[in-house]
Order: sequence, then structure tokens, then C-alpha cells
Amino acid sequence: MKRYVFVLLIFSLFLTGCWDRRELNELAITLALGIDKIEGEYEVSAQVVVPSEVSPKSSTGSSPVTLFRAKGETVYEALRKMTNESPRKIYPGHLRMLVLGEELAKEGISESLDLLARDWELRSDFYVVIAKDKTATEILNVSTTIENIPANKMFNTLKTSESSLASTKGITLDELIADLTSEGKNAVLTGIEVKGDQEVGPSKQNVETITPSATITYDYLAVFKGNKLIGWLTERESRGYNDITNSVKSTVMPISCPGEGEASIEVIDFNTDMKGKFKNGSPEVDLTIEAEGNVGAVECKIDLKETETIDTLEKIYEKELKGIINETIDTLQNKYESDIFGFGKAIHRSNPKEWKKIKEQWNEEFSELTVNIEVNMKLHNTGTLSNSFLKRVKE
Amino acid sequence: MRFFRKKNSDGLKSSTPLPSQKQNPDQKNALKTDLQANIKILKDSLGESSDIIFREIRIGKEGTIKAGIIFTDGLTDTPSLQNFILETLMIDNKGNELQKKMSAGKDLINVLKDYAMTVGEIEDLTSFDVLYTGLLSGDTIILIDGYAQGLIISNKQWAERGVTEPSAQTVVRGPREGFSENIRINTALVRRRLKDPNLWTESKVIGRKTKTSIAMMYLNGVANDKVVEEVRLRLDQIDIDGILESGYIEELIEDSPYSPFPTIYNTERPDIVAAALLEGRVAILVDGTPFVLIVPALFVQFFQASEDYYQRADIASFIRLLRFFALSIALFAPSLFIAITTFHQAMLPPALLMSLTAQREGVPFPAFVEAMLMELTFELLREAGVRMPRSIGSAMSIVGAFVVGTAAVEAGIISAAMVIVVSLTAIASFVSPTYDIAIAVRLLRFAFMIAAASFGLFGITVGFIALILHLCSLRSFGVPYMSPLAPFNMSNQKDTLIRLPRWKMFTRPRLINQKDVVRQQSPADAKPDPTNRNELEGD
Repeated sequence: MKRYVFVLLIFSLFLTGCWDRRELNELAITLALGIDKIEGEYEVSAQVVVPSEVSPKSSTGSSPVTLFRAKGETVYEALRKMTNESPRKIYPGHLRMLVLGEELAKEGISESLDLLARDWELRSDFYVVIAKDKTATEILNVSTTIENIPANKMFNTLKTSESSLASTKGITLDELIADLTSEGKNAVLTGIEVKGDQEVGPSKQNVETITPSATITYDYLAVFKGNKLIGWLTERESRGYNDITNSVKSTVMPISCPGEGEASIEVIDFNTDMKGKFKNGSPEVDLTIEAEGNVGAVECKIDLKETETIDTLEKIYEKELKGIINETIDTLQNKYESDIFGFGKAIHRSNPKEWKKIKEQWNEEFSELTVNIEVNMKLHNTGTLSNSFLKRVKE
Repeated sequence: MRFFRKKNSDGLKSSTPLPSQKQNPDQKNALKTDLQANIKILKDSLGESSDIIFREIRIGKEGTIKAGIIFTDGLTDTPSLQNFILETLMIDNKGNELQKKMSAGKDLINVLKDYAMTVGEIEDLTSFDVLYTGLLSGDTIILIDGYAQGLIISNKQWAERGVTEPSAQTVVRGPREGFSENIRINTALVRRRLKDPNLWTESKVIGRKTKTSIAMMYLNGVANDKVVEEVRLRLDQIDIDGILESGYIEELIEDSPYSPFPTIYNTERPDIVAAALLEGRVAILVDGTPFVLIVPALFVQFFQASEDYYQRADIASFIRLLRFFALSIALFAPSLFIAITTFHQAMLPPALLMSLTAQREGVPFPAFVEAMLMELTFELLREAGVRMPRSIGSAMSIVGAFVVGTAAVEAGIISAAMVIVVSLTAIASFVSPTYDIAIAVRLLRFAFMIAAASFGLFGITVGFIALILHLCSLRSFGVPYMSPLAPFNMSNQKDTLIRLPRWKMFTRPRLINQKDVVRQQSPADAKPDPTNRNELEGD
């Protein structure tokens, strides 16, 4: 009998297993976090879902998310201070967006990211973006339509625009940390901004009209040098960046027709091969781009039945793409002097010994770097029309 | 545990073999020569039971010989008693050969036996023990004054259920016959399917008071001799006052009485028994129940329905896989739900998490309590549905569906997702073709829910490992329970998780049957050859 009591006592040790047990309604599901630096202190804002407002059954029509804010010496402290305001503990396991304020980014972002990379509750598959000209709190304080949870709207918009336009780039925390730490590549992040009336943004009224007073939209890429933000790229340059780094899935590019007018090329497959090498002791990078596409729209009078026309269009595309890429590289080499493309990495991979010699002064070397570009475009389809009806339109 | 087991095995060992009826009757047990004395002893010991009928008659020339006829009313076929016994004995046919022989003063018992009784089965009787057994199982007893001997005339007949469609194991395609309560009908149903001289039936009588007939059936030369011997041994060790259902036998001879998993298969379908005998298994039939036991029983056997073999192999395989899937749902669905929603929220897709959270807003219980409440309610409904008189069944299903389905959710006591999980579990637990394995799953589900509530997925994993270990440690009459999965046997996979076409299954299961393994011709010849047919048509 004593033995059974003993066994029971041993089993009771296991009864303490519920330490991290939390019911679903004890969580403050946080889908977006914003980090700003104001007067030397971190201000963290958390966009938390109000579950009863998400469900169509129990919704009362008020906002589906709420924003908690707290200040602290460190990000972690600020997060914990949020419990002063929030009835439930912040649960960041499903975080989708991390918005960093532009001021913070200019001072350096690394310090604020440590907690997010270290905490076990966080997955590192959320996107990191920079609030352009605004604080992160202001970005998270705008109600949105279609996706009524703003964090989801930001996440999905970035995902869609990245894969079908390629002027933005969704960068997850993992990728960002890899960029910040690796040699021969600097980080970029996509910018996010609020357009319209910031005053109405937070209220439900914002989404009650067909055109919301304030909308969250993505801008183009932010250039980093080390862990500091140093400037912004234009749309053309952002596309150039994606072309160079092989991040294009699909996009549309307008080109000029042989005569006058424009044509749009729908790129359906895009592959960039980046190879570093040393020529006569100085580093060089070869970019070989293999692209495939369709003629998407023709706004000029050309004869698409002729294969020469297609060849000509291919040539024009190749030339114009080279132009964009050259322009982008030029801006980075001369204006920002920051290797965001990872050219250094490519050279390192091809010749680690020589790389060691130039590693220290890579920023200077980068500005002098020769980049050889080769573009091959193949056009396959012209859609359901061959020649545009424009030719037949009566004058 | 050990304490109990020891006691149990001691009990089995100390049991003495049943007193054989062939033993020489001692003085007290022997019949008396005086008819009146015999009848008095019978009346005393049977306590004047009203269903035992004593009829004293006079037979022989001018009725000089006194005789007694004793039978149990209701168990004996009265017309045949009237026509073949009373009439032959009593109607005084002058010049009848029989009357002459009777009066000749020879051994009257043998004369009656050889010349008079126009019934099929007849036996001598010298002891009271045999008399009681015969009398109480419906035979007619004839005692004659002056002889310490009697006759047992077999003319049993009583009201019984005929061969009807089995209710526990139904099929869409397949025979509709089911076993009944009469062991003779049951052996006949098996015999009709296997007309092989090697189909041997061994009979035993178990139960000191009930004297229940038990029959062991096996295909001699196909069944493993060691298994047959083991079954015989275990049956002989049973010493109990009564056997009322095959469940008694099952509990007394099974390998692991404490395991929730059945190691003996039971069925009410003769076709399943015939198929099992062909595979080399042993069937145990018990009088008074339509449920026949089959040993050795393997884990996978409980997921094989007879219909698997009657319909096409592809759909049979699909359905069999579906059953294993249903098993895992029935076992794990509530515990996984508890573990994921209370410990591992990160595993849920965000949209699902928000939807579940929204449902849980305002629910006063933790997920575990919620799940327990629902599962217990479901078990209550289920048990009530089984025990309740049929006529009020619809009332209960209305109440059940209303309480569980609608009201609990609308009142905000239970979240809708939990109702979905519990219903899914319930449906999945009804999928298994045998009731017994579903019972094990039903019980273990609660253990897994407790493990999930205290340790999350970790608890489920540890529990699952323990479950697998337990299953692998089980044996059924010497055959590993999880075979042919563990130990793995490639050739037996043809009829385990999936069923291959019949022409691919040309050997019997390996571990159950060791000799005479070939079921059909060689595999190359087994497959139907369409080219032959074309040639015939061409002629």
C-alpha cells in the first residue's frame, strides 16, 4: 500500500505542468508592432485584435483592433508596461508586421530588434517596414477597408505588390538580420506611409466612405548603410533593385514602341544570375538576366504578326531594362555609397582570398565597381489579340 | 496489479477438471431399482418444480409393468413425445410383436431401446447426474420399475430466435445470415460454408450450474496446433458456476485482462468465422449467444470488415485507410484541440486563431473543462440511447441534439468549435467496424485529454509513445498483437492497411498459420488472363 501512495506522490510532481497554459480568451493577439524612438526612449505600440469585433456574429460595429502604447528604456520594458493598459498579456506569436519609425531607423535599428529575434513566442516570418516621414504609431493608427484588421491589410498588400509589381520588397525579420550582419550586403526595407487626412484615420468613419480619408500605402525602398537609414530610392530604382537581386516574380514594364506610343510587357519569368570575379586584380560583377514575358498591351501602331516586331520589342525591353539597372547602380554607387545588392557577397563567394584584401575598403571599391549587364528577353504570347484594334480605329 | 494477477493465476491453477459423466456412479448417485424411490428422490431434489412433469404409466401385456416418463415442460417436443413414446408404449396392439417381447421377461430396457423407440437419439442412463443434465436440457427420461437403469430420449425443442440478419455488423454487400442463440444452428451455419472434413468441432461443457455447451472449431492442418492446444488448455482451466455469454469466456481466457484493447475478436457473422477459420484461426462458439469468439485476434483485424473482401479492392483499401484515419480522429481530436488552443496557439493560422478566440469570448470554462463536459454529455446520450426503450428514442435524440448542439452554444457555455470537435469525434468513433476497438478508443480519449490539458502536445506525444509500447507488448494466443506491422512482415501487408486484389493474396497470414500457407495456385497463374478469353471468342 505504501508503494502505491509513493507512486501517487511521484505522479503529483507532474501536475505542475500547466505553467504556460493560457486559454484563448486570455490572449491579446497582437498582429502589428510599432517601434519609435522619442527623446531617447522607445515607444512601442501594439495593434491588438478585439476578437468579438472580428466575428460577424458578435460584432457591434466598433473598431476590430485597438492600439496600446507604452514607453520604456528598452523595447521589452515598454512591452511589459503595456499591461498597465491592456487587460490581457500581449501575445505576439502571430505578429504579421513590424513598423519601425523613420527617426529610429536613422539612428539605427539593430538594438530594437534583439528582443524580437530572441523571444520564443515570436515567429520571424513577419515583415519589417519603415514608416516614411511618420512615426510607427501613426501608421498603426489608421483603419482600413476590405481587410478590416490593418495589420492584415499591410501584410497582404505588401505580399501582393511584391509578387505582381516588384517595386516593393517584403523583408522578414530573418532576412533583415541576415542583411545587417553579412559582409558585402547592406539592408533595404520597404517604406510605408499614410496618405490623406491623418485626423480621421483612426476612426471608423475613415472607412465608411468609398474613398477613405486616410489610406496606408507602400512607398519604395529605404537604403541602409550599416544599421542606419540613409535615404530612399525612387520607384524606378526600387524596381532596378529587385531586378538585380532576382526578386522579381512577375511585373509589368512599359517600353516605348519603335515609332511613337507605349507598349507594356508582362514579365512572367525573371531570373537574374549574379557572378563576381576579379579582372586584372580589380573586382567585377556580371549580371545575366533571362526574362520571359508576354506582350501585355499595345498602345501604338505596330504589326505584331511580324516576328521582326517581336524581336524589336525584345531588343527595346533589353535596352530599357539595362537603363534602369544602370541608373540604380549609379545612384547607389555615387549618391549613397551603399552596396544593397550584395555585389560584395557575390565577389566573396567567387574568390574569398582576394575578397579578404578588399573587404576593409569595400565601400570605396563598390563605388568604383564595374558591372557588366546582359539581358535576354523572350516574348511568347500576345494575348487574345494579335494586332491591336488601334490600327483599325477610324481617324 | 501484480497482487491481482497472482491471485487470478492461482485461481486458474487450483481449478479441478469437470467431473466426467463417464465416471462410475457411486452408491448415492446410482439409480434405484424401485421406480417410486427414484421418483421420490427426483421430486425431493428438484423441489417440486412445476415445469418438471412426472407421468406414471403402465406398459406391457395387461399393464403389468410400471414405468415413469419425466420431462421438462417447454423444453421437450410434446407432439413427438405423444406420437413416438406414449403411443408405442401404451396402445395395446393385440398380437403386437413388441407386447410379446415385453412380456417375455427379457431385459426390458434393451427391448424398448432396440424395438420400440422411433426416435433418432437415445442413450442409456444409470446415474442421477446424467439424468439431471438430460432432463434439464429438454430430453425425455423413461424409468421402468424394477430396473436401476433408464433411457434418455432426445426430443428437445423449445422456442428460439431463428437465423436473422446480424444487427451489430451490417453490410451492404454480403450474406445477411447471423448467428443465433442455439449452438447447433451456429455450428451448422459454419459447416455450411466449410464442407471440409478437416473442419473439426470439439465440444465442451463449461459452468457448474449452467452446463453451457461450448464448441471449438478449427481447420485441422491449417490452424496452428500450438494455438489449438492453448485454447483447449485455457478453456479446460475455467471453473465457474455459470457462462451466460461468450463475454464470460473472453474475459477468462484473454491474454491481457487489464488492457483496454480486445485480444479476442467477436462476431455474429458466420462468413467472418469461416474466413477466420480459413486463415488458421480458432473459433469458440458458446451456447446461448450469437457472438462467436475468434482467436488469435490482431489489432488490424478490428479494422477489417467482412465487406472489404466482397467489394472491389480499390474501394476496400480506401475505406480501410479511412478507418485508420477515423481512429486517429476519435482518439486525438479533442486532446489535440485542447493542447493547441491552450498551449500552442502559435500553431494556428491567424485567421483561425481569431475565429476561435471570438467564439471563446465569454465562455466561462477552460477548454479542458468544456471538452470534458461535452464528451461526458455525449457519452450520456449514447448510453441512454442504447439502454432506453425503442419507443422513446426519438424524444431523446431531440433533447440531445437540442441541448448539445444548439442551446449550449447559444447560452455561451460551450464554444461552437468544441461542439464541432466533439461531434466529429463521435462520428469518427462510429466508423470502426467492430464495437470492441471503439470502446478502447473511447476510454483512452479521456486519458489523452487529461494529458493534453496538463502538458500540451508534449503530453499527447508521451501518451502516444506509451500507447504504442503497450500495443506492441500485447499478444493474443502467442501472436504479437501489432503484427504484421510490428514485427513487420512484408508479405502480410497485402491485407493490412490496404487490401490487394484477391489474385494477389495467395498465402495465409504468416504468424497465425504456419503450415499449409498456400491459399491458391501460384501467383503467376492466379491473375486473370484476359488474352485467353479473347482467343476463345475468336474461335
